[in-house]
Amino acid sequence: MAPAVAIDTTVARAVAADLGENVYKCYQCKRCTAGCPVAPLGDLHPAQIIRAVQLGDLDAAVASKFIWLCTGCVTCSTRCPQEIDVAGVMDELRAISWQEGLVPKDRPFADILQYNFDSIVRWGRLYEIELIARYKFMRPRAMMDDALLGMKMFRKGKLSLRPAFGDRRQMKRMVAEAEKIEAERAAARGRVSKRPAPARVGGAR
Amino acid sequence: MSRRVAYYPGCSLHGTAKELDESFRASVEAFDIRLDEIPGWECCGNTAAHARSRLLAAALPYNELWKVKSNLGLDTVVVPCAACFSRFMVTLHDMNDERKHADIQRVVGRRFTGGVEVDNLVDVFYDLVGLEEIERRTQQSLGGVKAAAYYGCLLTRPPKVTSAEDPEYPTHMDEILEVLGATPVDYSYKTDCCGASLALCEQSVVVELTRKILSDAAAAGAEMVVCACPLCQANLDTRQEEIAAADPRFVKLPVFYLSQLVGLAVGVPVGRLGFGKHMVPVEPVLRGAGAAV
Repeated sequence: MAPAVAIDTTVARAVAADLGENVYKCYQCKRCTAGCPVAPLGDLHPAQIIRAVQLGDLDAAVASKFIWLCTGCVTCSTRCPQEIDVAGVMDELRAISWQEGLVPKDRPFADILQYNFDSIVRWGRLYEIELIARYKFMRPRAMMDDALLGMKMFRKGKLSLRPAFGDRRQMKRMVAEAEKIEAERAAARGRVSKRPAPARVGGAR
Repeated sequence: MSRRVAYYPGCSLHGTAKELDESFRASVEAFDIRLDEIPGWECCGNTAAHARSRLLAAALPYNELWKVKSNLGLDTVVVPCAACFSRFMVTLHDMNDERKHADIQRVVGRRFTGGVEVDNLVDVFYDLVGLEEIERRTQQSLGGVKAAAYYGCLLTRPPKVTSAEDPEYPTHMDEILEVLGATPVDYSYKTDCCGASLALCEQSVVVELTRKILSDAAAAGAEMVVCACPLCQANLDTRQEEIAAADPRFVKLPVFYLSQLVGLAVGVPVGRLGFGKHMVPVEPVLRGAGAAV
């Protein structure tokens, strides 16, 4: 007899509560993976991420390179025969990572998303130059990547030096209110990860 | 009779995609549509918001939709950026769920009950203006130039949210190009991802994805690529130098916004179409098509 596999439904229940998706509908046909543009470039592929959620292996899912490479092209959700919003599950895993302080180090896209988010909250709009400058400052090795391209774009007037402002007061209100509601829900649901919570998580930096 | 619609440009159109903003305004005005930019508009949240909080991501466009209805008193908002468009459509979709709508309303502190149509760049020309009107107003045919219409991801996906008729094989942009006098080519990558915002941190991924799209378009005979999203245009246009350096057989293709070609065809002055902002020069193929640029 094959050894039994332990299934912990904590992660799947969190996905069901937050996103309204039942990952147990997935029977691993792998159409999501077949159509995924970044599956060949990551470590796990989308069907394996869904499997990890089914089994309750949150660590495997959030530590994967894959969820931090997913571009959100939504091909997977479009083609899933069980109509699971696979791309939505990737977002949900990233959201849990942020809420619970599980974002792995050395995930460049996670940094980009963080600086992007900070910029939106600060100005009400994305300030492209600030985002790029912060990313380069934190990663000196990437400093010269696209330097020439950046210069060309600047010369063509495609990068604005000054930020533009949205309705910043309303933006801050919405961010704070959404965080409050989600913190309430998370407290009611309990922590998804088995790992202890780090001292400080979430929020704009 | 002139028509008024609300305009949500989004962050890119005031930055890296200024030529989309310019050419969009000019070409839409040519059809007597007046754009009222939403005052004090905020970022739609982009991937940074939806990868962190579905609730906040739905709330940000909701706030803009409320302004369209309550401040501007309009029933249509045009959103030329495909990524912003997608966020607006997700909000409308989430509003169908009463519990989600109640949460969104609590976050925004305002109540919007619907009645605003959201149109992307292709919808504006296909539905709001219409093929017949474009045909009637076309003064400068594109001379049969072979064009690959590139839809990318978010104009059509997910179909539950966008209501796209055929998300795997859209044709609206091809139909518009045909009316403008171009010859649309049939190719396999018209809805494949360009790499989107990985452009800033995972350049090699974007180079590989755009190489596939551009090579497939070129193999189908395309002389140009036409798109309707600032991220798609930026990725396809800016990575060709690197692709060509690694592959001597690679043929560079100019990458247009649909609004630039519509504008050119209906007689918008070339100075308002932003052709100088491209990385791969666009003038040779336009001159070849008989345009005076």
